[in-house]
Amino acid sequence: MSETAHPHTGTMGEAVLDMERLIAMANQIGDFFAPYPPARRSEGIRNHLRTYWDPRMREALLNYINTQGGKNLHEHVVAGAKALIDTGTDKKGYYGPPQV
Amino acid sequence: MANPIKPDRSVVTTCAYCGVGCSFKAETYQGRIVRMIPWKEGKANHGHSCVKGRFAYDYYNHPDRIRTPLIRKSINDPWREVSWDEAINYAASEFKRIQAEHGKKSIGAVSSSRCTNEEIFLVQKFARAVMGNNNIDNCARICHSPTQFGMSATVGWGAASQHFDSILQADVIMVVGSNPTEGHPVFGSLMKRRIRQGAKLIVIDPRHTETVESAHCNATVHLALRPGTNVAVLNSIAHVIVREKLYNETFVRERCEWDEFELWTNLVGSDRYAPEIVGPQADIDPELIRQVAHLYAAGPNSAIYYGLGVTEHSQGSTGVMCLGNLALACGMFGREGVGVNPMRGQGNVQGGSCLGSWPHVFSGYRFVTDAEVRSSFEQEWGVPLDDEPGLRLPNMFDAALTGHFRGMYIMGEDPVQSDPNQHHVIAAMKSMECVVLQDLFLNETSKYAHVFLPGSSSLEKEGSFTSAERRVNRVRKVVEPLAGYQDWEIVVKLMNAMGYPAHYNHAGEILDEIARLSPAYKGMSFDLLERIGSAQWPCDENAPEGTEVLHTVKFPRANGRGTFMLTEFVPTAERTSDRYPLLLTTGRILSQYNVGTQTRRTANSLWHPEDVLEINPEDAHVRGIKDGDWLTISSRFGSTRLKAKLSQRVNPGIVYTTFHHAKSKANVLTSDLSDWATNCPEYKVTAVEVVKTATGTVSTHQHETFEEAAA
Repeated sequence: MSETAHPHTGTMGEAVLDMERLIAMANQIGDFFAPYPPARRSEGIRNHLRTYWDPRMREALLNYINTQGGKNLHEHVVAGAKALIDTGTDKKGYYGPPQV
Repeated sequence: MANPIKPDRSVVTTCAYCGVGCSFKAETYQGRIVRMIPWKEGKANHGHSCVKGRFAYDYYNHPDRIRTPLIRKSINDPWREVSWDEAINYAASEFKRIQAEHGKKSIGAVSSSRCTNEEIFLVQKFARAVMGNNNIDNCARICHSPTQFGMSATVGWGAASQHFDSILQADVIMVVGSNPTEGHPVFGSLMKRRIRQGAKLIVIDPRHTETVESAHCNATVHLALRPGTNVAVLNSIAHVIVREKLYNETFVRERCEWDEFELWTNLVGSDRYAPEIVGPQADIDPELIRQVAHLYAAGPNSAIYYGLGVTEHSQGSTGVMCLGNLALACGMFGREGVGVNPMRGQGNVQGGSCLGSWPHVFSGYRFVTDAEVRSSFEQEWGVPLDDEPGLRLPNMFDAALTGHFRGMYIMGEDPVQSDPNQHHVIAAMKSMECVVLQDLFLNETSKYAHVFLPGSSSLEKEGSFTSAERRVNRVRKVVEPLAGYQDWEIVVKLMNAMGYPAHYNHAGEILDEIARLSPAYKGMSFDLLERIGSAQWPCDENAPEGTEVLHTVKFPRANGRGTFMLTEFVPTAERTSDRYPLLLTTGRILSQYNVGTQTRRTANSLWHPEDVLEINPEDAHVRGIKDGDWLTISSRFGSTRLKAKLSQRVNPGIVYTTFHHAKSKANVLTSDLSDWATNCPEYKVTAVEVVKTATGTVSTHQHETFEEAAA
């Protein structure tokens, strides 16, 4: 076998995960919460990102929204991600339907 | 002369194979195991066993077992045998170096459902308290993480609502994406016993499995659905129940959140989930969907048992929620004979889930973001803990490729063989600076490891397993660890070498720590297990000897009520096309176990020497394929070779294989798609094409050689 020891495709400083993968994951979460009424929809996404995503993944998503305006992201995913900034760490994580 | 088949010693312990958790008397002669006798007092198996637990124990003593720690600077170097101290110190110094250079979060740990509760708990303590981050995951990520998510969402706890014996009170048994007669044979026999007594059987599975039809098993209805349509079909069953008002309104009003129920009825009750619409999408007769709805709702006792056919999809968590919704709507919780029960593949998947081997929750499924919970752990462990979720196993690999993740401690896992999209995993493994692997044998992952710590099998250690029915069973040391240490002792060494003082006199002290920090395990101790044999959690002052049936009075949610989740069907992005017209799905068989590390090293291999590709004769005919022909199977991600087995068990358009042999490389084919909530891989749906190939040819995609890992 011929392997390079550490063939990094990226360097530190870039997003922790490939941005396309993060967008796909965020939209999948958006698809799940889509049937809920609008306020609950974005709250479901916010709670999920807050309790399940590594903070670097959330930060990468928010950076992307700030710089690219949420291109390729569902509208309610952008709303859910932005709600992360407003609520910060105040709201406790929970299981079950989105609570507003 | 002494008689070698007359044992001189006997120890009661728990089988480590599937999630049934059978009790055995392991009998030894002059320090070697000579037989495993199923133990009559075992509360899961009542004296029964299968061919794995009974006969496949010799792997523990196989010549391939590694007995000395190994290290190397680069994965291109040969392994070098070293002392335990040198290996542990090297691993610790590398982890510390990486953290100093790339930050606290640049390393993480993964534990295995083949390890004991005590070991799993210690590995998460190692990540959280010693590495100082929450980059901790376990192999349930790739099998039952959607169970934890979906069941927690609807009924509060991600665990079976019943004990196994409860099935003897069931009138209707609904098996979804599971094949218990092969995968969980001792429970499968119990199920057959109930079917012989007259219980009706519904099977929802793309394949005509042994559970659909075999001795003492004959499904009343089999929905042979197209892989990837679970959520549509389960919603359609719910549609009939809602439209025909077959639900249990009293139960829903008394025990559930009515508003969420109404929202749910609007969703599943809509025309798009009518059997006449969903049937053609799923390739099943709409009338059969109606029959299933009528049977399930009528009960009186209907019990759901499900497996990875539900979870390993891009809507895996949604599928689990569908099952929770159905059972709540029909009032099928809170007594014997009903419930929703995940069939767990490995001996301690439930323990792995319960004991905080997740990047977002501590033991008892409590969020790391919860300050109150976190402080109880900080007090016990004496260090401040990270208040943010860490990376999940697939995200660790993703982050390795962006340079953010560079070191990993893996206990008892072989992610290179078992995780999806193998080329991606290998690229990630190659980009890491220090991979520490603790296992019995060198495996696919060890090719990319820098430190190999020889672990101990379940026959060489003290501890406990938590089975699929939440039963905590003792694991007892039958023989001395071949490489000198029980796995938990190795973790303790690593903790100390990293500068965190840790000391336990025996594994029971770890269970005591678990009990102090986990409400559902509060009453568990080695003393209790000695006294009563085993106990199902929750076990506390209200239930000092454990709990058989959950949710009898209320659900473990803030308001005590079960709830309904909106489960819209979202088709997977993995679609068939002209180039990849067939759908590959996977499963396993009775005599072998998972990736085969253990069973392939026993005489059980005579029953299943190789994996084959089951293909419908119609699909085979148009491709000129005959039984036994070598095939190349290709997906968008890679290709591999298997022999053809023409079979009516799969419908046209579907092909099926097992994944017990490393050389089959089934995961070269599988995609990078995963469950929306948990990133559990979508193993069960991969678009492929199959062509006949001459013996010995290796496809162009294939850049790994076919190596036989097994002896």
